[in-house]
Amino acid sequence: MTRAQGGRFELRDHTADVAVAASGDALESVFAAVADGLAAASCDEIPAELGDRFSLSVTAENREALLFDYLDELIYLRDVRAELPVDHRVETIASPERDGEGDESGDWHLEASARGVPLAAVDAREIKAVTYSEMRLERRGDDTGSGDEGWEAYVVFDV
Amino acid sequence: MTTFDADDITLEKVREYVWEIPQEGDMRAPARVLASEALLEEIKEDKTLEQITNTTHLPGITNYAICMPDGHQGYGFPVGGVGALDAENGCISPGAVGYDINCGVRMMRTNLTYDELQGREEELVDSLFANIPSGLGGGGVVEAGVDTVEEILERGVDWALEHGHAVEEDLLHCEDEGMREGADADKVSQKAKDRGKNQIGSLGSGNHFLEVQRVTDVFDGDVGAAYGLEEDQIVVLIHCGSRGLGHQTCNDYLRKIEKQHQGLLNQLPDKELAAAPAGSQLAEDYYAAMNAAINFAWVNRQLIMHRTRQVFERVFDRSWESMDMHLLYDVAHNIAKKETHVVNDDGDERELYVHRKGATRAFPAGHPEVPKAYRDVGQPVIIPGSMGAGSYVLRGGENSMDLTFGSTAHGAGRLMSRTQAKSEYWGGDVQQELEEQDQIYVKAQSGATVAEEAPGVYKDVDEVVRVSDELGIGDKVARTFPVCNIKG
Repeated sequence: MTRAQGGRFELRDHTADVAVAASGDALESVFAAVADGLAAASCDEIPAELGDRFSLSVTAENREALLFDYLDELIYLRDVRAELPVDHRVETIASPERDGEGDESGDWHLEASARGVPLAAVDAREIKAVTYSEMRLERRGDDTGSGDEGWEAYVVFDV
Repeated sequence: MTTFDADDITLEKVREYVWEIPQEGDMRAPARVLASEALLEEIKEDKTLEQITNTTHLPGITNYAICMPDGHQGYGFPVGGVGALDAENGCISPGAVGYDINCGVRMMRTNLTYDELQGREEELVDSLFANIPSGLGGGGVVEAGVDTVEEILERGVDWALEHGHAVEEDLLHCEDEGMREGADADKVSQKAKDRGKNQIGSLGSGNHFLEVQRVTDVFDGDVGAAYGLEEDQIVVLIHCGSRGLGHQTCNDYLRKIEKQHQGLLNQLPDKELAAAPAGSQLAEDYYAAMNAAINFAWVNRQLIMHRTRQVFERVFDRSWESMDMHLLYDVAHNIAKKETHVVNDDGDERELYVHRKGATRAFPAGHPEVPKAYRDVGQPVIIPGSMGAGSYVLRGGENSMDLTFGSTAHGAGRLMSRTQAKSEYWGGDVQQELEEQDQIYVKAQSGATVAEEAPGVYKDVDEVVRVSDELGIGDKVARTFPVCNIKG
């Protein structure tokens, strides 16, 4: 387990690919933890300081799609910026407005940032894509009696 | 009846090497697994059988979904899966093609013998590694703007020919002569093009590689001669795909399908099987975009091959023409193609989107879609093994049209996860052992990649090919063994 923005992630076995299991107290922290898992799956030794931070924002129609599009955007930015995004921070996740009936309208929106480590400076390998296969993003039940509520996510990446 | 019990799933033996998961519940057809019992023991260890069963839920699945002998767990659709979906009443599924559209393999012949190469392996592997872009952010043989990417997407290897990266002969020895009809660059997103423009002619990483090999066995002399293969000859095998451009295209369309065809998606057991109904605008758009990405991948492999010719010229101080460095064939193993197949005993024909994900087209002798050069003997099929084991050249088998919609396996198939591989192997040890014990020279951007691709993480390619040969879907022609290997 590795800590990230209060969240944690773990790389899990998958025959051909690689999976990230993550948890966090808030939606923001579990998103950032999955993204840190993606970085860890790409590179064993991430330099502690190198690279400048950049911002990104993503909009999608539901929570799972927002996670998918966030990870997809990070992979896209890696290729076009020639930088490995690491040290992820998800600043805010805004949910759609609810009307008096409780129905949601509009999209989910995320503001995040990451540090871009030049690919030339690291021994990184390519994660091809985020997948929906077996993807889970769920509220963690408080069945331990510890008052420990939060979020859990599981994402398979294509290597 | 003989059965094979794989925990929750029981397979019934149809005949030797053919196992069936009977249709039940929401399955629209049975699923079939083509394997020996030894391979089934490995296949049952992950979610391959569950995934091939899920595949039968796709509308328009014709006859059965099929898992090849090298099948293993993928995402949604298993790797080593073949699904023929009705092109009129069925659907097309980006997830059943895979992220790396037209990931595939090509083999180039030479007239060099192993004797002539021995002693120069290190020089050759160093020079290949220095000149063939690989790994993440390594650039491409060509770095260009989006305009060039668009030309490549629509013209395929014809673009490479015009710009001096190919000769006419190369086109004649590639499926569809290196250009898919119906490719439309406008259906490929700007994001995909932006990712592709710095990656034209690059290996990438993961299981992609370039390998110099020697032919160790020719099992079928006549077909071997038709393919220009003989024992002790040096050949070059290139395995890669459409890079970020293909990956992005797959994801773009998965998301569009999710937004536009939620009804169909809700019927499927795995979101990754997301499919666009045949005849819908999105099905047409995806097919045009996928065809464009296929062209991009062909150009990618072509540029790497042509650069390899130049490396050989420098190392051996001769022209590539004098070393007879010609393309034997290029096969795609992540693809969907509209093909016409006989679908029942009455001889009825139907147009199908044949999805081959981690499976290779294997059309037999006489099929009109086999390039003229090989029509008398059948389509060459290239099956790469691990970097410590042999690879195979097969030819499309006589039974492939009846059993597999003209398909066979695509490789050894993984056995062990990447994380487990890294804990069991260390890249430096693997490299040293291969060099000292087998005289195989490996050079990689990342030691972790070498560990993850260690020979022990793959199934026995010999057994995969034996089953293909026994079934008559892909017949053994020749076997090769690695000499030099470069990877990302």
